This record gives sequence, structure tokens and C-alpha cells, in this order.
Amino acid sequence: MLKMNQINKVFRTEVVETHALRNFSLHVQEGEFVTITGPSGCGKTTFLNLAGLLETFTSGQYVLDGEDVSRLGDYQRAKVRNEKIGFIFQSFNLMPDLNLFDNVDVPLRYRGMRAAERKLRIEKALDSVGLLSRKNHLPSQLSGGQQQRVAIARALVGEPRFLLADEPTGNLDSNTASGVMELLHEINAAGTTIIMVTHDPSLATQSHRNVHILDGQVQSDNTNHVKAA
Amino acid sequence: MFLYYIRLSLLSYKRNPVLSSLMVLAIAIGVGAYMVIFTLNYVMGGDPIPHKSSQLYHVQFDYGDPAFTDFEPPPQLTYIDATALLQATVEHPRSASSKFVAVLEPPGEELRPFYVNGRGNAADFFPMFDIPFQYGGGWDRRADDTQQLVVVLSNELNERLFGGANSVGQTIVMDGLNFTVSGVLDRWSPAPKYFDVNNGAFDPMEEAYIPWSLIVGQEMRRSGNTNCWKAFEGNSFQAFLNAECAWIQFWVELNTADEHAEYLNFINNYAAEQKQLGRMPMQIEKRLYDVNEWMILNEVQPDETRILTALAAMLLAVCLLNTVGLLLSKFLGKSSEIGVRLALGAHKRSLFTQHVIEAGVIGALGGILGLGVAALGLEGIRILLGDMMTNDWMQLDLRVTFITILLAIVSTILAGMYPIWRACNINPASHLKTQ
Amino acid sequence: MEIGPIYRALMRNRLGVILIAAQIAFTLTVIVNAVYIINDRGELMARPSGTDEANLFFINNIGYGDTYNEAVVSAEDLDMIRQLPGVTAATIINAIPVSGSGSSTGMATVAGRIEGVVPTAVYTVDEQALSTLGVELVAGRDFTATDVRYRNDSIARGDNEIIITVAMAEALFPGEGMQAVGRTIYDVNQNASVIIGLVARLQAPWPQSSFVENSMLIPEVYIDNSAIYLVRTEPGQRDRLMVEVEERLAASGHSRILRNNRSLEERRAESYRIDSAMSTILVAVIGTLMFITAMGIVGLAVFSINRRRKQIGTRRALGATRPDILRYFLLENLLISTVGVVAGAVLAIAFNLFLVQNFDMSRIDWYYAPAGMVVLLILGQLAVIGPAISATRISPALATRSI
Repeated sequence: MLKMNQINKVFRTEVVETHALRNFSLHVQEGEFVTITGPSGCGKTTFLNLAGLLETFTSGQYVLDGEDVSRLGDYQRAKVRNEKIGFIFQSFNLMPDLNLFDNVDVPLRYRGMRAAERKLRIEKALDSVGLLSRKNHLPSQLSGGQQQRVAIARALVGEPRFLLADEPTGNLDSNTASGVMELLHEINAAGTTIIMVTHDPSLATQSHRNVHILDGQVQSDNTNHVKAA
Repeated sequence: MFLYYIRLSLLSYKRNPVLSSLMVLAIAIGVGAYMVIFTLNYVMGGDPIPHKSSQLYHVQFDYGDPAFTDFEPPPQLTYIDATALLQATVEHPRSASSKFVAVLEPPGEELRPFYVNGRGNAADFFPMFDIPFQYGGGWDRRADDTQQLVVVLSNELNERLFGGANSVGQTIVMDGLNFTVSGVLDRWSPAPKYFDVNNGAFDPMEEAYIPWSLIVGQEMRRSGNTNCWKAFEGNSFQAFLNAECAWIQFWVELNTADEHAEYLNFINNYAAEQKQLGRMPMQIEKRLYDVNEWMILNEVQPDETRILTALAAMLLAVCLLNTVGLLLSKFLGKSSEIGVRLALGAHKRSLFTQHVIEAGVIGALGGILGLGVAALGLEGIRILLGDMMTNDWMQLDLRVTFITILLAIVSTILAGMYPIWRACNINPASHLKTQ
Repeated sequence: MEIGPIYRALMRNRLGVILIAAQIAFTLTVIVNAVYIINDRGELMARPSGTDEANLFFINNIGYGDTYNEAVVSAEDLDMIRQLPGVTAATIINAIPVSGSGSSTGMATVAGRIEGVVPTAVYTVDEQALSTLGVELVAGRDFTATDVRYRNDSIARGDNEIIITVAMAEALFPGEGMQAVGRTIYDVNQNASVIIGLVARLQAPWPQSSFVENSMLIPEVYIDNSAIYLVRTEPGQRDRLMVEVEERLAASGHSRILRNNRSLEERRAESYRIDSAMSTILVAVIGTLMFITAMGIVGLAVFSINRRRKQIGTRRALGATRPDILRYFLLENLLISTVGVVAGAVLAIAFNLFLVQNFDMSRIDWYYAPAGMVVLLILGQLAVIGPAISATRISPALATRSI
């Protein structure tokens, strides 16, 4: 599903060279729920940006869903992001002046889908996170947990092959957070691969597999036998 | 997608209403001010008769005396030369013309006698300048030759004398002479009065038109500029006519390059003959001017409009610089939204389109408001100039409306190019982590 | 607070600096030249015509019909006008100063000589001209009733006695204008004119003319059935008398047309209308530009402060006081504005040279550019003060927040 081989990412400024990832390799199978952990500055955000095709890397190979995406142009990369990847962010990143319906609509717009089909899909996605009745509300009228549910609906509406989640519960209280985690597990159970970056060790134990990154390299890769509740 | 982007633009406007309104205002003021000056230039410096301006020629001769310091050859012709050209120019439409004033005694008892501003011109004058008639028409060359007492009334004078009815065949009395009305003009008030730029290019139109030969034949009271550069020989009216006094305009219509060359040759030969007779001691560069050349030579367009054009261009530049800065602020302020859109599958081209449309929407709003600014500005100038400028010649027509909005949209998008480029090249990764 | 760090921070945002500086530069260019044009026109309009403008009005009288005798009617009319209470004096004149229309000729000191001819406006008047116009006789004598000749187009002007302005005398006899009384000059028809008096000032009818101060008064009434009566009144009586004179002339029963009953003040305003319109337009342009530029500065300042909220919070946390923050932004604006006004001063002078080359205008005085620079520096400081004050209200706690 996702194969990164010997990836290097170097940030250069006039004075220093920072190796954010060095010879980084990771394979994720279809249907897995992988958590990525590690201390600040270890390279987990860089990994996420590379995995999500938001940034390019210096060297190495990245194969996504059987397709080598290492050297794609901007247009192709955007297409891959749009069709195969769903993003969930710590701070939700909903567009404040679009209502829920329009927020979920954004990825579909870039896919050039007909209006009737979009409507059907958006309503289904909002329904699946239990917020269809509030589709005309603005994000600011919702609680944090609800906002993250909308963001999840937005990530799922394009039926991506996998979800990239960056501290999805970081801005939520523990009750709400566990609700969101539950939702993610349901999605995973339905077949979507999930990669989640977190610094919360308790969340790391709830996944199939936990990858720990240190200094831009995989330090440990453990398979969890505890299935989440 | 286009409508989607329009909707996004309006939402974005609402997000930063102050910043967005500042931009719209800046564009409105810049474009509005520019359009005021554009309209002024269009009116004062534009081609007043585009389909014929290069066929109508005014003649200038080498008048004056080199001994005078700073003496510019007067633009009009003397009686001797005007009559000579009238007689010699048979094949081409041509007209002498000058102004007169007369006391008009209206028919009936209701109206008191009043003063009219009139013009003497040859029969060809009306077709040459495409002058529209409401009733009747002009006269023929025979009427010029026989000094027939015929008159063409302006629309306004016909309104005043005959209540706007068809007055062809009626008689009016001017300076004690009985004139027969041969025609009534439709509304006609070109600005500038390109057929007479020597007597106030923006003065009101004349009210009565009579055969030019009558001005001399009946010794009508002449008005308009008269420039003399040599002493009279005697004190009679004839002495004035024979004198070196320029007071007559002379236009000829030449439709082909051959006709022009032939006529120029004739004019040059005529000037050479006159020089041999001891007249025309000056040397001028050019003797035949078409309408636009004539307006430039006679400085019809005031210096003021040219200075204001430069100032308005700078005002527009400031407004656009302002817009560049504000658009940059606005678009960079949306970095995280742009980052999210990129993550959700937008590519640069779609972001580019989105922001071009957003700039275009701001430009369009600025253009619409700019129309208001332009209308206000023109109204202001109308008030400032008062009755100096006649009629309704300064107004926002469809053409100006279209140009205003187009100028606003295009210039805003051009101003937005750099901000848009920056917006499209935002690194999404750095704007997704925090808000 | 040091300029160094501010300068280095600005160098990292050159585009923002260039945008504001360029706006300020263009604004300065326009303002300096516009103010100059306004002052120039103002001086033009402020030139006195030499007459008692506030108390003068005129009316155009045109007679018609075979029985109309202008010599008789005008004598009758002037008699009537002069006897009206409130009228100081009245004359019959061929043209009105500063009105835009009149008659001119050239006068030479040697009969028949064309070189060195002095162009002049010609006023034909009767013996009350000087007292009516209110011009000051500085040498020689005034006209008397016996000087005035009546003529029509079949009678030549012939030799005559004239009064001219000091400016014209100076043009004819450089250096000895004041001694011109008694000398003879010649018109193009070689009529000899003896100068009998000099008036301090009387402008020609054309305010834009190059010889606006050259005027010549001839005691002559030209009979062509068209006359202008010029009337001087006691202060405050003008408007009332304008109505009364016209009513009385109309009631006197001759076949005549009365036109253009105007005060000189009104006529002057019309003659200078383009100049005053130009000035008003330029004032509007200046105001608009300063507004736009100030708004641009405010807009960009708000943006740059919002972008640096965290940085400002950090500065506050590190001990910067509110005045320190305020000073930072004022100083930053001052730096940017300085770049703008220096560029603007160069541009303003270049634009002035363009105007000098293409239009009938002179160079700007040296102090215009520096004065404009100061004004725009102050404008920049005033514009940035609002956003800067809002920046001082940013809480130091922002420094510790991650979002």
C-alpha cells in the first residue's frame, strides 16, 4: 500500500543542512492502522508531509498504491492527494467561512464531479459522522469534537485509500478524543488504511502497529496485539 | 467551477471586509478618476468625425510679416484668398465660412426682437460635415452665387420661433432682410466645434446659417476673430475686404490621395503666385491640414487635460500599488486555507484560477463603484466649468461604462499577479500544523 | 530602540517596503506638482485688473431699425445712467477688461516701422473712462469731453490723443516709461497718437495674453449700433442698479436689444473658470491621493502586525514596554517613508521638468520638494499610529501559546 525506501529529506539554508529524514524506510500494508510516535523534531511531521505528497524529498523512492510517486509533477501529485489520500489535522483546518456542506464539498470540487453525485456523497459522509442535520452550520458553531468529525467526513468523502492523521485528538478533551478515536477505528475496520502521528503513548497502543521515529530514522516498529476497544 | 470560485471570492471578501473594501475603494477611485480624464480627453482630443476626418482639409497660407516678432501666421484666410479658392475649387466640395451676429425680428407680436449668432457658409458646408436636417435642407451653389436670402435654422431657434413645426418656406427677418427658411437642423452640437476651432472650440453652436456670400454682399455684422497685419488702403468696406486681414475659414473635401496631391499642388502654385505679387512673405511648413491635424495645430485640447492625464495615470498607479500590497496581505493571510486546499487535492492551476477570479471580482466591484466615482467627477467638473461647456457632451455612455469595468478588472488582475503567484506557491506543509 | 535591527528586518521584506515607498514616491510627485500648479494659477488669478471691479457692471446695447441713431441714443442713455442715485460714473466702451473679447493693435515709436512693435489692447471710450474704470492716472491729464470723437466705418481714425498704461509706456520706451507723456507713437495705419496720460494699471481683455498689462485708451465712440455701457456704482449699490439700469433702458422706447448685463466680478470668474476649476480638481486629487496612501499604509501595517503578533508578544515577554513597541512601528514606518520621499523628491523634480518642457510652466521653487517630504513623513506617522497602538495591546502571554 505504502512503501518508502531509503528516503532522505534535507533542509538547506545558507548556513546549515538539517537531515530531517535519513535513509528512512517504512512499508504499510493495506488495512493497517499505524501510529507514528517520537519526540519533537524527530521527523514525524516531515514523514507525514512526504507521505501526503505535500513536500518533495531529496532522495529515495516512494510507492503509493502500486504507483511510484517519487517524481510526479505538481498536477499529478495534486491528483493523487485528491483521490487517494485523506487528511485530518490537529487543528481541524476547516474553512471558517464555508458551512459544513461546503467544507466537505472541497475535495470533490477538485475532482470535477457532477453536482447531484457530490450532494449524495457529502450527505452520506456527514451522516456517517452524525452531523448531517447541521450541514448548513458554520464550523464556529460547533464544538471541537464536532469540528474534527466534519474534518473526518471531509477526509473520507472522496473515498481515499488511506487517511493521514496528524495529532487528530491533540486539541480535544479526553472524552471527545476517545469518541474521535472510536470513529477512526470504525473507519479502519471498514477497510481504510490509517497512519496517525501522535505523541500520546496511550493512543499508540491502540493501533495495530506503532512506529517510533528518532533523529529521522525508524527506531522501533512494534506490532500491537491489543485490539482497541 | 467558475460560479464556485465567484462564491468563494465573495466569502473571502466577507472574511476581511475592511481590507477588501479598501481595495475596492482604491480601485474605484483610481479607475474612476482615470475615466473622468479619459472622457475629457475623448471629448476634447478625440476624432470628432472619424469616418471623414482625413478627407476634410483646412487651408493655411503664409500670412504675416517676418518683421513682426513672435507673429504666428493666423489660421484663417483673407477675403481675397478665400474668394479665389472658392472660384477655383469647382470639382471638390468646399466652403468658406465665418460668423455673424444679427438682430432677429420674430414673426408675430409675442416675441421681442433678439440677437442671433449666425454662420455664413457655402452650400457644400452641410453635406461636407454630415450635418443632419430635421426639415428641408440647405441650398445649392447657385444660391451662393446669386446671394439668395435663404436661411437654415438650428433646431433650438426653430423651436423658439415656430414651436418646432416644419418652418420650411416661412420668412424670418434678420437685420431688416427677409430670409426664406430652407431647412431646419436636427439636434447637432459636436464638441469640439471642429469646423471652427478659431473662435472658441467649445462655444455654443450657431443658430442660423446663411450663404457666406451674403456676409459680404449685405455687409452683415461679422463676429469671430479677425487678424490684420498690414495697414488698410482706404476706409471703405472694400478696403477692409482687400486688406491683409484673415477672418474666413476655408474647408475642402478631398477623397483620394490623388485628389489631395493635386489640390496641394494647386494651393502651392497659388501661394507661389501670390509671393511673386509680393504677398505672403512668411514661410510655413504645411498648407493643407486634415481635421485632426488642424485641431492639434490650433491647440484645441487644453494643456490642463494633458497635465491631468499624467496626474490621473499616477493616481491610478498609486491605487494599483496599494492594491498589490493589500492583495498580498489578503492572499498571504489565507495561507492556511490554501494549504488545506492543496492537501485536499487542489493543484496550482486551480488555485491560480481561484485567485485570478478573486482579484477579478474585487476589480469588478471596484469598477462598478468606479463608475459612480467617474459620474461624480464628471458632474463635479460640469459644475466647475458651468456654462462654459455647452450641452450634454460629457456623459458616461455605454462605451465608457464598458471600458471602466474592463479597465478595473484587468488592472486589478495585473496588480494581483505577484500576490497570486505567491499564493499559488505557498508551501502547504508549513501552514497546516498551526493556525 | 535601534534602527539597525529594524532595518535588517525590513531588508527581509523588501517587497513590502518597495510597495509602500513607491506609493509615497508617486504621491509626493503628484502633490508637489499639483500644489505648485495651484499656487501658480492662484497668482495668475490674483493679478489685479487695475479697475474697481467690485463696483462695476456693464450692459450691451444693440440698436436696430432705420430710425435708430446711436449717437443720440447713447448720449441720452449715459445721461440717464449718470443721474441715477448710487452711480459714480459711466462710460461707453468697446471692450471689458478680463472679459476675453476685445480689440488689439500694435504701436510703434517710429511711423511705419514694424520691428519692435508693441502689441496692446485698444479701449475706445468717452471722457468718463478713467473715473468709471477706477484706474489711477499717474502722469499727464485725463480726457475731456472735447477730446471724444464720434466715427463710423467710413471715417478714418486719424491722428489722436491717447492714454496708455505704465507697463506699455515702459515697453515702448524702455527705462523712461514714466516720461512718455507728450511723446507720439504710431499705429499700423501710421496714425499719430500723442500720449497725454499714463495710468498705473489696466489689464487687457485677455488674461492669458502675453501683453496683458499693455492697454491703450482712445477717446472715441464708434457708431455701429452696438455699444457697451460700463457703470461704476457706490459700494453696495451695484446689484440694485444692474436691475434698475436695464429696466430704464428697456423702458426708454428705442428699438434695441439689451444683452449681457453682468458684473465685472462675475465676468472675471468666467474668464478664470478653467484656472479655478483646475485648482479645485487638483485639490481633490491631492486629498484623494493622501487618503489612498494613508489607507494603504494602514492596511499593510495591520497585516504586518497581525503576522508578527507572536513576535510582538515575545518582545513584550522579554521586557519591551508599550512605548517601545509603539516606537518600533513608528520608526519602521519612518524608515520606509524616508525611502519613499527621497525617491519621490527625485521623481517630483523630474515630473516638473517634464511640465516645464511641454507646457508653459516654470520650474518649482526649491522648497516645494522638502515641504512635500515633511508632509508625507508626517502623514505616514499618523497613518501607522492606529495600528501601532493596537500592536502595543498584544499580550505578552501570546509568547507562550503554541496556537
